[in-house]
Amino acid sequence: MQAGAGSAEKRRRRFAAAGIAPLMLWQFVFFVVPVILLLVISFWRTRNYRMVPDFTFANYIAVFTNGAMWRALLLSVQTAAFVTIACAVLAYPIAYFIAKKAGRLKGLLLIAVIAPFWISIVMRVAAWRLLLGENGVINQSLLSIGLIDQPLGFLLYSPVATSIGLVYAYLPLYVLPLYASIDAIEDNWIAAAKDLNAGPMRAFWEVTFPLSLPGLIVGAVFCFIFGLGEFVTPALLGGGKQLMMSQVIQDQFQRRLDWPAGAAISIVMLVIVFALLAVSMKWFRKASGEKL
Amino acid sequence: MTNTKPPAVEIDAITKSYGETTAIRGVSMDVRDGEFVTILGPSGCGKSTLLRMISGFAEPTTGDVRIGGKSVVGLAPYKRDTAMVFQDYALFPHRTIAENIAFGLRMRKVERAEIARRVDEMLALINLSGYGGRRVSEISGGQAQRVALGRALVVRPSVLLLDEPLGALDMKLRKQMQAELKKIHRELGLTFVAVTHDQEEALTLSDRIAVMNAGSVEQFADPETLYRRPATRFVADFVGGANLIDAEVGPAGALLFRGLPLSGIGSDAVKDRAIGDKVSLVVRPECVATSALGGQAPGPAIEAMVTEVLFSGAVQQIVGRLADGSLFVAHEQGLKPPPERGSTVLFHWDGSLSWLVAR
Amino acid sequence: MSARPRSPQERGGFALLSLYAVLIYLFLYLPIAVIVLFAFDAKPIPGLPLDTLTTGWFVEALRDQKLTGSLLTSLRLAVVSAILSTLLAMPAAMVLAWLPIRFKSLVMAMVLGPVVLPQLVLGLGLVILLRSAPDLVGEPAIILAHTTITSSYATLILYSRFLGFRRSYIEAAMNLGASELVVFREVILPLVRPALISVFMLAFTDAFGEFVVAWFVAGFTETLPITIWTSLRQVISPKVYALSSVIILVTLAISLVSQLWVIRQTRLTSKVQTS
Ligand SMILES: Nc1ncnc2c1ncn2[C@@H]1O[C@H](COP(=O)(O)OP(=O)(O)OP(=O)(O)O)[C@@H](O)[C@H]1O
Ligand SMILES: [Mg+2]
Repeated sequence: MQAGAGSAEKRRRRFAAAGIAPLMLWQFVFFVVPVILLLVISFWRTRNYRMVPDFTFANYIAVFTNGAMWRALLLSVQTAAFVTIACAVLAYPIAYFIAKKAGRLKGLLLIAVIAPFWISIVMRVAAWRLLLGENGVINQSLLSIGLIDQPLGFLLYSPVATSIGLVYAYLPLYVLPLYASIDAIEDNWIAAAKDLNAGPMRAFWEVTFPLSLPGLIVGAVFCFIFGLGEFVTPALLGGGKQLMMSQVIQDQFQRRLDWPAGAAISIVMLVIVFALLAVSMKWFRKASGEKL
Repeated sequence: MTNTKPPAVEIDAITKSYGETTAIRGVSMDVRDGEFVTILGPSGCGKSTLLRMISGFAEPTTGDVRIGGKSVVGLAPYKRDTAMVFQDYALFPHRTIAENIAFGLRMRKVERAEIARRVDEMLALINLSGYGGRRVSEISGGQAQRVALGRALVVRPSVLLLDEPLGALDMKLRKQMQAELKKIHRELGLTFVAVTHDQEEALTLSDRIAVMNAGSVEQFADPETLYRRPATRFVADFVGGANLIDAEVGPAGALLFRGLPLSGIGSDAVKDRAIGDKVSLVVRPECVATSALGGQAPGPAIEAMVTEVLFSGAVQQIVGRLADGSLFVAHEQGLKPPPERGSTVLFHWDGSLSWLVAR
Repeated sequence: MSARPRSPQERGGFALLSLYAVLIYLFLYLPIAVIVLFAFDAKPIPGLPLDTLTTGWFVEALRDQKLTGSLLTSLRLAVVSAILSTLLAMPAAMVLAWLPIRFKSLVMAMVLGPVVLPQLVLGLGLVILLRSAPDLVGEPAIILAHTTITSSYATLILYSRFLGFRRSYIEAAMNLGASELVVFREVILPLVRPALISVFMLAFTDAFGEFVVAWFVAGFTETLPITIWTSLRQVISPKVYALSSVIILVTLAISLVSQLWVIRQTRLTSKVQTS
């Protein structure tokens, strides 16, 4: 009798293992192993453009003492933070609008926000070059209506351009979790607050806002993480003067051929990313369907 | 060839644990062929678990389940000759009503023409002729319930299992479906095992009822026995509702309530009990009447302070508080003037209508 | 019930919000409009004012072997990645959603990892890994890299879809005599097909447009994003805008249509009344 119960259980286990094993194996070889390799060589040295196995913290010390690297780290954090805030401010009303006010157009409007996200990043950046350049659409338009008489030079090849590009890239990403958590707020709860004599603003701050917090935080974490590691946008819009972390990493790897140094910066970036994720895990759980 | 058929379902000393928690603790019961058995109990007592072990979605930790005399432990659900009506119906949304009903027949490799014939027959039986081409999203709750029933019945299972089959319906529809379910059971003569937490539904539908509490069966009997002579305190209270007087058996056939003998209890009421046994006296509210203190009651009687009088037309509920703080309820005729709230009165009843259960 | 504006105050708020929404959609679609517009600009260096329009650049783009070659490469590699990641993701997501497994949080971390890992970092890690398998550099490496990313996305999306799938469908089918295989074919597959198709399309689009990781492991292989990247570093030919605008419009159309279709399908199959 016991055997019967055991065999059904065993079969379930075998099903589960068979279903999940291929993906796990794949992710182990092509995700876990590469990260471990990066970690390992971040402790190596470079001599005559070749890697030498070693165990040194020199690469890490360099990240925080070498002025250029430190500045790149700071610029990346600043830019990511700015982009996150800008996206939050821009995304909230639109997510609210779609979730609560769009009526039957809800589905369509949501998809329309997300759709640009699926266009190749390279093409999106190419489009912004057309808009922001000295002879670009924005400068030309401003000139022709006489608002300016010199093209604005800071629009392209500057941190401003990078920020615009990043906001454009991650706005859809931010709307998604925000929409989900605002959509889950039932109209009745807001109505109940108003019924208890809260004005529309008060009802918003007492009910809507706190309940949308998981989405707001999850969106912020994603936005910040992606902004921190983004490469294409700063490389093509940011110009070469002020480098971001990802550009420095790429520079170390491809031009200076100093892989250990590049690996060390990558690991620092990873630590920031994972620390942020660990801190915000609670909110991810709240946002992912754990109903109230 | 024996002339007695084996029981349709035999549950033999089953236990079921999920890690630390034990959902079923030692349940045994037989369901006779063609019988309508209901498993009744409060939420979380293990009703669904028991049903799922019959259908094969859960395996007992120890014990045996036999269907038609053969052990089915370890047998996959699709190899068992049971069919289930799910609480949420689980009608396949990508198929029409007719296709839903045909599903089990297709799985059994029944011929096409035969499938068509039996589906039509079933649609007629569940009063949905002409609805076969509809999608699941295009029918009402009551109709969905009947489709779920039809989908399970059409394969002519040796046991039909129903998990809270009427739970999702409103009161009126529920009553109507109870009648239909009963009728179908009578017409087809199949074995039904249903689960519910609604005692009225269980009493209406079943030939026998198994009352469960915290993983075990407290009593397995026909509705009348369950109502007239519940075996335990829990059953008395859960089925029909009852007044319980916690007492102790005293010397010389007396029943002691807070140390004093209860008046009007005959010595034969306690004849099988030993002195000092802790027991509860059970009496249904509808058997109890009230009268002023000092009057002479014909049978057993107890004093209580009236705390509430609830009038609802034909019947009025008089709620009293006994000396030990427990409540005692009488359902009296609505025309009789009720006692005043706060007054102490005598609650009395016919001695043949009360009995003792162990505590 | 959608909240219809009632008081004048609320009506004003609604108007403001609508206006804001229009501005945001303008912001989102302006760059796309511009790139499509300049694909028709006759000047060799596109810019305002738009005097003469031509469709010539589209023809030029098709004649450019390098451009069309990398387009075909991208299409081919993206299809393979999309198939692979759907095949990896589907059983994994089913297990995660429906079966109790041990070390679930470790498994989830492995799934979530490639999504949050900066793509640059993943690219570099793969470069180091590929030192021990130099033969794979090029097309195989690009497929491996993209599948790693897209299978994670695919698993997460499918997992959340499968969570909402009622387990009683499976049990009902089994109860009526369907074995595991038949349940899969007759019940699970038809019900999750919209989700599978949408995940396949998303994986394809993502792999098609991904640049950073591919760039690191590509060797001499050129995908379309790599070709565009290269041309963006030089003086960019309007041919690139022409090709890009076509691809952008196709991408938008695919994602709009497939997502709308999924919404419709799920609406059709999930609206089961119970009371
Ligand atoms: N898969 C499971 N894992 C762990 N515990 C379970 C599982 N299934 C049931 N239980 C536990 O077993 C007990 C009995 O559950 P069961 O579903 O049989 O109750 P029930 O009588 O059907 O209740 P309800 O009327 O609410 O449906 C409960 O305490 C429940 O928490
Ligand atoms: Mg149950």
